[in-house]
Amino acid sequence: MKFGKRLKQQIQETLPGWRDKFLSYKELKKLVRSISSAPTLLNGSFEYGRAEDEFVYLLNNEIEKFNAFFMEQEEDFVIRNKELQQRIQRVIDKWGPKGNHPSEADYKEEMGKIRKDIVDFHGEMVLLVNYSNVNYTGLAKILKKYDKRTGGLLRLPFIQKVLQQPFFTTDLISKLVKQCESTIDAVFPVEDEEKKREAREAIIVAGEGIFRNTVAALQSMQEIRRGSSTYGHFSLPPLNLPDSELIQSVQLNSPIPIV
Amino acid sequence: MEARPALSFQRPGAKQLSSMGMSGALSSSLPVLPTPLEETYPKLPDSQQVSMERELVTRPLNHASHLSSNSSVVGHMFSSSSGFSTDLHYSSLSPHEKHSRHSPFISQSSTNVASLPITHSSGSLQSTASHYAKENSASWQTDSLSSFLDFPVNNPIENSQVESSSCNAVLASEEFTKWADQLIADDDALASNWNELLGDTSVTDLEPKMVFPVSKSSPNFQAHQSQVPLQLPATSEEIRTVANPTSLANSAPAKPRMRWTPELHEAFVEAVNLLGGSERATPKGVLKLMKVEGLTIYHVKSHLQKYRTARYRPESSEGSSEKKLTPIEEMSLDLKTGMEITEALRMQMEVQKRLHEQLEIQRNLQLRIEEQGRYLQKMFEKQCKSGVDKLKTSATTSENPSTPSLDTVQESPAKSELDASQVDHGKTGTDPVNANTALEESSQELGGKHKVSEANNPENSEPDACESGSQPSKRPRTDE
Repeated sequence: MKFGKRLKQQIQETLPGWRDKFLSYKELKKLVRSISSAPTLLNGSFEYGRAEDEFVYLLNNEIEKFNAFFMEQEEDFVIRNKELQQRIQRVIDKWGPKGNHPSEADYKEEMGKIRKDIVDFHGEMVLLVNYSNVNYTGLAKILKKYDKRTGGLLRLPFIQKVLQQPFFTTDLISKLVKQCESTIDAVFPVEDEEKKREAREAIIVAGEGIFRNTVAALQSMQEIRRGSSTYGHFSLPPLNLPDSELIQSVQLNSPIPIV
Repeated sequence: MEARPALSFQRPGAKQLSSMGMSGALSSSLPVLPTPLEETYPKLPDSQQVSMERELVTRPLNHASHLSSNSSVVGHMFSSSSGFSTDLHYSSLSPHEKHSRHSPFISQSSTNVASLPITHSSGSLQSTASHYAKENSASWQTDSLSSFLDFPVNNPIENSQVESSSCNAVLASEEFTKWADQLIADDDALASNWNELLGDTSVTDLEPKMVFPVSKSSPNFQAHQSQVPLQLPATSEEIRTVANPTSLANSAPAKPRMRWTPELHEAFVEAVNLLGGSERATPKGVLKLMKVEGLTIYHVKSHLQKYRTARYRPESSEGSSEKKLTPIEEMSLDLKTGMEITEALRMQMEVQKRLHEQLEIQRNLQLRIEEQGRYLQKMFEKQCKSGVDKLKTSATTSENPSTPSLDTVQESPAKSELDASQVDHGKTGTDPVNANTALEESSQELGGKHKVSEANNPENSEPDACESGSQPSKRPRTDE
């Protein structure tokens, strides 16, 4: 139940509003177990058919849940993206060097706020992509279990459909993420290489929030892909993160930081 | 009641009840969107399995709560009409009916599905077709596959009995009429080309949103067919949802979900500005100004609400998810200097970028894996058709039956990509490219022990797989 445990951890670490939007992996697993104990296909096709229908039905509900949540978030992000850009533009126009009332202090102050917001915005979007991926992985796993247990052929065609679902087609969000990155690079240029390196060596205490989530997600991903006992055609290779020390160096504390 | 363990699937809240995972294809008269669809009920294996693209018709659902049993998602309507596809989203009903899957229902519905023989289908199809034509003001071309459709139209599902598969219930004519009228009343432009809605760039977004068929039905149903006498879907129980595959458990009136893109949002903002700002603009006005086909006032309304929130409370909306966490963060942040804050943010960006990178890689891998799977499946089927006879006739006594060709076919695409996934426990850390080469050898060893891959274990699986390609027989597990 490695994935199940990982998923649970991720859900715990995730942003509060998202907790109930993830895949109900455990329940589905239970269902699969109980289906497999049903009579075999030959003996009870009705039973089998019914069980399978129910399974499919539930999966579809889950997918719907993902879709709804995902699209809602996506919509929010689209709006916020535009707002952020406008906000940045306004600050530049007003307090920037070539603005109406150039003022370095004000500029820096406003930009400071924007910077935090934009980094968090970037993080939330990435977490949404992660959400999509985690749920997809869960679905793929549960389908594999299903086929294994019942000898069915549900997995392949079903997963094809999943691939086309809104929640899995994360292209727009990825595009926004990249846009965000380039905006950040443009507006907040990297100043000092050395400082960056020092920061990396430091051990960062990550409180709750987006940063924590992101780190948790990365670690989780690494764990999930560390190795599997049931490799097959459809398994992902293990995850090897370059700079994995970067991730390791981040300690995830309990929610109450010790300041 | 379905005697299943309590499944605590959370139903979306009220507002989401109405939302359907439809990418905007709201209107009943849905545009001709060629979307690749797979049938859920491949009653006619040959015709259906051959074509990879089917047009799917799903009905948008806003059906009523009395269609309460949840849609069994399963149903699909197809019209393999050339170029005609109505994508209707079907969302079914109330979330509460988990127990909707009554056994009688299910068995009947499956029977039903199975029981749509071609002969019946054409008749029923036509009736359905005409019905739809009426409602949708669209022409229906169906082939025998759409025999599915016959259910619903004539069976208004009144009872909230669970048996009625609400999903299909939707098909109940009166419901549909009501719904259709409602949509049409809202906006004239409903019967529109979906493509226009999102603009050309986003067309691709639409396609995926469609239907999510219940895939597996064919083997199942074939089995059923043999056992169950044909029945016409006379009762309400036999209705399967046609709608959108992800059978939404939403009952709400007509609020299919729209997928907002930046371009669409731009148009929205322009319209709002023309109308004097977000406070003064009204949904109706914005809707008219935008002139986007397929957009309903509900979409605009909810979007406007979000927009207002985002504008007037930029901090809270952007930090909304961490609102309660901000005090904690601020506490620790205040102790740092500005420089440290910058560094912290930089670190955060690094980690986020990394995660995003990995997610993209992972997603691509997943896509490719499934592509391989599809490819293999196709090869199987092709070979089956030509190879099964050969197998049957030629006496194969060897362990490796006469499927060397299959072997090679499988091996070549499989090996290169999929072997990457056959990582031994001990082998960690190498990136996928290296893993590939390393694994090519190890997979050979593993094959003997583990039956890890289909390619490595062709003896048992291939012939069986071929035969079971469209049958529900238990496939030998290849992944152990």
